[in-house]
Amino acid sequence: MGRYFIRRVLYAIPALLVISFISFLLIQLPPGTFADTVAAEMMESASVNESAIRAIEERYGLNQPIMVQYWKWISGILLRGDFGESFIWNRPVAPLMWERLGLTLVLTASAFIFVCVVSVPIGIFSAVRQYSVGDYIATSLGFLGLAVPSFLFALILMYIGFRYFGTSIGGFFSPDFARAEWSWARVADLLSNLWMPMLAVGLAGTASLIRIVRANLLDELLKPYVAAARAKGLSELSLLLKYPVRLALIPFVATVGWMLPQLVSGATIVSVVMSLPTTGPMLLRSLLGQDMYLAASFIMMLSGLTVIGTLISDVLLALVDPRIRFT
Amino acid sequence: MPGGGGRDLLLEIKGLKTHFFTDEGVVKAVDGADFPIARGKTVCVVGESGCGKSVTARSILQIVDRPGRIVEGRILLHRESEEVVDLAAMAPTGKAIRAIRGKEIAMIFQEPMSSLSPVHTIGNQIVEMIRLHLPMTTEQARDRAAELLERVGIPQAGRRLDSYVFQLSGGMRQRAMIAMALSCRPNLLIADEPTTALDVTTEATILDLIKELQRDLNMTVMFITHDLGVVAEIADDVVVMYLGKVAETAAVDPIFHDPKHPYTRALHQSIPKFGDTQRGALEAIRGMVPHPFARPDGCTFHPRCESFMPGECDRVAPPAVVMESGTTVRCLLYGGSDGSGAVRDDAGGHAGTAGGEAGARAPGKGASGPRAADQGAAG
Amino acid sequence: MAAPAAAVPAAAESSTDTAATVQLASQWRLIWWRFRKHKLALVSGVVVILVYLVAAFAEFLAPFSTDRMISNLAYAPPQRLRLIEQTDTGTRYGLYVYGYTAEVDMLSLQRTFGVDESQRIDLRLLAKSEPYKLWGLIPLQRHLIGPVDQSAPFYPLGADRLGRDLFSRIIYGTRISMTVGLVGVTLSLVLGVLLGGVSGYFGGTVDLLIQRVMEILRSMPTIPLWMGLAAAIPDFWSPVLVYFMITIILSVIGWTWLAQAVRGKFFSLKTEDFVIAAKLDGCSELQVILSHMVPSFMSHIIATLTLAIPQMIIAETALSFLGIGLRPPVVSWGVLLKEAQNVRVLVTSPWLFLPGAAVIVAVLAFNFLGDGIRDAADPYK
Repeated sequence: MGRYFIRRVLYAIPALLVISFISFLLIQLPPGTFADTVAAEMMESASVNESAIRAIEERYGLNQPIMVQYWKWISGILLRGDFGESFIWNRPVAPLMWERLGLTLVLTASAFIFVCVVSVPIGIFSAVRQYSVGDYIATSLGFLGLAVPSFLFALILMYIGFRYFGTSIGGFFSPDFARAEWSWARVADLLSNLWMPMLAVGLAGTASLIRIVRANLLDELLKPYVAAARAKGLSELSLLLKYPVRLALIPFVATVGWMLPQLVSGATIVSVVMSLPTTGPMLLRSLLGQDMYLAASFIMMLSGLTVIGTLISDVLLALVDPRIRFT
Repeated sequence: MPGGGGRDLLLEIKGLKTHFFTDEGVVKAVDGADFPIARGKTVCVVGESGCGKSVTARSILQIVDRPGRIVEGRILLHRESEEVVDLAAMAPTGKAIRAIRGKEIAMIFQEPMSSLSPVHTIGNQIVEMIRLHLPMTTEQARDRAAELLERVGIPQAGRRLDSYVFQLSGGMRQRAMIAMALSCRPNLLIADEPTTALDVTTEATILDLIKELQRDLNMTVMFITHDLGVVAEIADDVVVMYLGKVAETAAVDPIFHDPKHPYTRALHQSIPKFGDTQRGALEAIRGMVPHPFARPDGCTFHPRCESFMPGECDRVAPPAVVMESGTTVRCLLYGGSDGSGAVRDDAGGHAGTAGGEAGARAPGKGASGPRAADQGAAG
Repeated sequence: MAAPAAAVPAAAESSTDTAATVQLASQWRLIWWRFRKHKLALVSGVVVILVYLVAAFAEFLAPFSTDRMISNLAYAPPQRLRLIEQTDTGTRYGLYVYGYTAEVDMLSLQRTFGVDESQRIDLRLLAKSEPYKLWGLIPLQRHLIGPVDQSAPFYPLGADRLGRDLFSRIIYGTRISMTVGLVGVTLSLVLGVLLGGVSGYFGGTVDLLIQRVMEILRSMPTIPLWMGLAAAIPDFWSPVLVYFMITIILSVIGWTWLAQAVRGKFFSLKTEDFVIAAKLDGCSELQVILSHMVPSFMSHIIATLTLAIPQMIIAETALSFLGIGLRPPVVSWGVLLKEAQNVRVLVTSPWLFLPGAAVIVAVLAFNFLGDGIRDAADPYK
C-alpha cells in the first residue's frame, strides 16, 4: 500500500509539470507579449514608461527563448509563490487567486459530496428494482441531467427563484455578508446560498454516476459470488451491501476521479452565470482582457486541483480493491 | 428407488418445475423433475450442459436468479426430528429458507474464483458464514475457520485466512470454498460441478477430499457433473437428467453395467475408454440439446434417440417405470406407451413413482401422498 | 444465471431455423435487428435525422434571414398560430396571426405587448419573401411559411432584443450547432483512431507515452482549458476560421476518449484467434488492422461517436454562451443563449430559453441513439 501510494504520488509530478507547461503555453498563445499589452495600456493613459516595460521584460524573460520564460515563471511560483502580475487588477496574481480558489474548492467539494450522496443510493435502488417505476423515474431524470448543460440548469434555477420566489439569486453571500470579514455567521450564510450552485454544478455528474452505479451493479448482481453469498443464508440487504455494492463501487471510485475535472468545469461556468466570487468569472474576465498571467495561474491551479483529486481517487481505489493493492 | 424401501431419505424432489421468464419466451430449465436423495449417500446428477442440473440444485436452496422462478413442485427436506419441510413453498428471501441455507444445506460452486468475493479475505467470508448460523464470537469463529482450512488441507491455514482469492491457486480456492461450506456442519452438501474449472490432478485431489469428508462427517452429497468418470469415482446413486426431466435414476452399478435409458447409454459411449488412443474417434451423442424454446413433443430425447419409435416417442411423454433392479426410467421401451395421452401418462408417471417409493415413505410422511395425486390429476 | 447462460450457447449452436438465420446474417444486419428493438433509440434516430434535415434546409424552413429585424418589436412575445376566424359573416379558415399592440411605460421605457385582434396578418405556405440561395447554389425565393405581406411582423417563437425572429434564428443555429458536433467528432475520430490504434497495436513504450498524454489532457478541466484556447483566437479572424478553430479546440480533449475506446478494443482483439490466424496467414500489419480489426470494432466506434457528438454540442454552446466561442453574426444555439444571460430579461421574455430546449432535444436524441447503437453493437453477446 505504502509503495503504491508513493508510486502514485511520483506519477502525479510529471502530470503537474506538463499541466503547468500547457497552462504556460496558453499565456503565449495570444499575439504579442505581456509587455506589449502593458505598453498598449500605458499608451491609452498617454504615459509610456520605457523603464517599467524593460523591467517587465526582464522579469518574465520576454525576449528570451520560451523554455527560459517557462523556467522564470514556474520557478517564481515554486520558489517564491510569485504567480506574476495581473495587469487588469494591477496587483500580484497570488493574493487575487487564493480566496477565489478557496471558494471554488468549497463549491466543487460540496457538489462532489452532493453527487456521491445522491447518485449512489439512487443507482443502487435503480439496479435492485430494475424496470420499476422508481427505476424509470431515476433513469429519465438521469438522461435529462445529461442533456441539460449546467449553465442552462443554473439559469433555469435562477429563473425559477426569481420568478416564483422573488429572490434574486446570485453570489455566495447575502448583501450583509458580501463584504464582511470571515466569521461563523458568514460561513452559515455561505452554506445557505450554496445549495443552488451546488445543484447546478452537480446535476450532470449525478446523472452520469447514477447510470454508472446502476449499470455496474446490474452486472455485479448476476455474478456467481452473489448466488454463493445467498447460498450462505445472508439476508438480501446485508448481502447486497457487502458484496455487489462493494464491487460496483470499484468502477464508481475509478470514475469519480474523472468526475472532478467535469465538476471544476461546471463550477467555472455556473459561477459565471450566477456571478459567484469563484475563479470562474475572474478567469473569464482575465481571458477576455488577455490578462494572461492571471488566466494561466487559474487554469494551472484548477487543473492541479483535479490532478490531486484523481490522485485521491486512485488511492481510494486501492483501498476498496485489494487486487490493485497487491499487484 | 435403488436399494428399495427402508432407506432413510434426506430430500425428495417431486415434480419440480423451474422456469425462466425471459423477453423471448419461457425457458423450462427444470420441467417436472423427480428424485430422492438418501441420507449419508452421494448422489450424482449427470447430463449435458443446459439439462437443468444446476437449476435443480439452485432450486433446492431457492437461489435461482431472476427471471427464473419455481413454478410447481415440492422439495421436501426430512429433518432428523422426523419433521418434513417443503423448501419450494418457502419465500425465496424469507427467514425460514435463509436459516436452512448454509446451515442445513450448503453449496459449493463451479468457479471458486468468481464464487468467492475478490475483495474480501477468505477468513472474512468464512467467519461471516459461521457467525450467521452459530452463536460464536468473531475470535471463536476465526479459530474455527482456521481449523476448517486445515481440515480441507490448506497449509498454513492461520495465515491463509487473511489471503484474498486471487492469491490462492485454483485447487486452494476450491478447498477454501469447501471449508466454508462445511463450516456449519451441513446435512447436505450440494456441489455444482466443483471440479470443472480445475486441472485433472487437482480434480482428483478435490474429489478425494469430498469423498473423505463425506465419509468422516457422515454427510449427504449431491454432486452435479457432466463427467461420468467422476460419477464412477464417487457416486452411490445416479440421477440422469435430460432437458429438465429425469431420464433415469439408479444406483451407480446399474448405471454403468446395465444402463436402461438410451440417453444414459449414449452418455456412456461418449466417455473415453482406457486404452483408446484416438481421441477424435469418440462417439458423440447424435445432434445437440434442442433450443430451449422448442422442446420436442413426447419424449424430449426422441430426435436424438437411437431407439426412436415413430408414432410413439414423438407423441407420448414417457411415464416413470420402476424396474426390478430398482432403476427408475422414463422411456417407452420399458412400457407406458399404451397410454393414450399426456394426461393419463403423466398420472401414470406419478403412480409409478409413488409405487416405487411406497415402502420408503413412513406413515407420518403420508401427507405428501395426496398432493402427489393432485398433481398427477392437475398435470 | 448459470442455467440460462448455459442454455443460450446451446441455443446458438442449435440447428433450428431461427438460429440458422442468425448465424448466416451479416454483422450489420444483426446490429440492425437488435437496434430495432430499442424503440426509444429508433425514435431518437428519426429525431436526429429530422434535426439534420432542418440544418440542411435552414434557408427554406426559416421564414426570415437571421438579421431581419423590426426594432420597435424588441422582445415581442410569441404569436399564436390561428386557423379559424369567427367573423360576423361566418367562419373563415386560413393561417393567420394577430398583430401586436404596444404600450410604452414612460417611467421605465419598457414596452409591453398585447394582442391586436383588429390587425390580422395572413400567412401562407411557400410564401415569397427574401431571396436566398439554397446551399449557396439554387436561387429560391419561397420559404416554407411566412406572412403574405413580407414586412408584417411574424414571430412564432417571439423576438429577441433587436426584434429579430427567434424561430428563424434557432433554425439557422441548428446548422451551426449540429455541424460543430459532426466536424469536431470527425477530427477527434481521426486523432483518436490514429493514436489509440498506434497505442493499442504496438503497446510498450509508445503506448505508455500516449497513455500518459491522454491521462494528463483528461485530468485538465475542459471548460477552463477551452476558455484559454478559445480566448486566444484573434478578434479579427473570419467567422469561418473561428468556427474551425473552435471545433479543433473541442477535439483537443475529445480525441482522448475515442482513443481510449479504440485502444481497449485493439488490446482485446490483438489476442483473438481470427487476428492471430490472419497474421499467420501472412497478412501484413496494415492489412490485419484494416481488413480484420477495424471492421470488428466499427460498430463500437460508431456508438462512441454518437455519444461524443452531444458532448461537443454542449461544449460549443457553453463556450458561445460565455462569449468566447462563436461570435455574432454567426448564429448558433450557444450564441442565441448568450441573450438569455440576464435573469430579469428572462423573466419578462422566457421564450429566450427556447434555444436551450433545442439543445436539450438534440442532446437527448443523440444520447438515446448512441445508447441504442452501443447495446446493439455486440450482436453475438
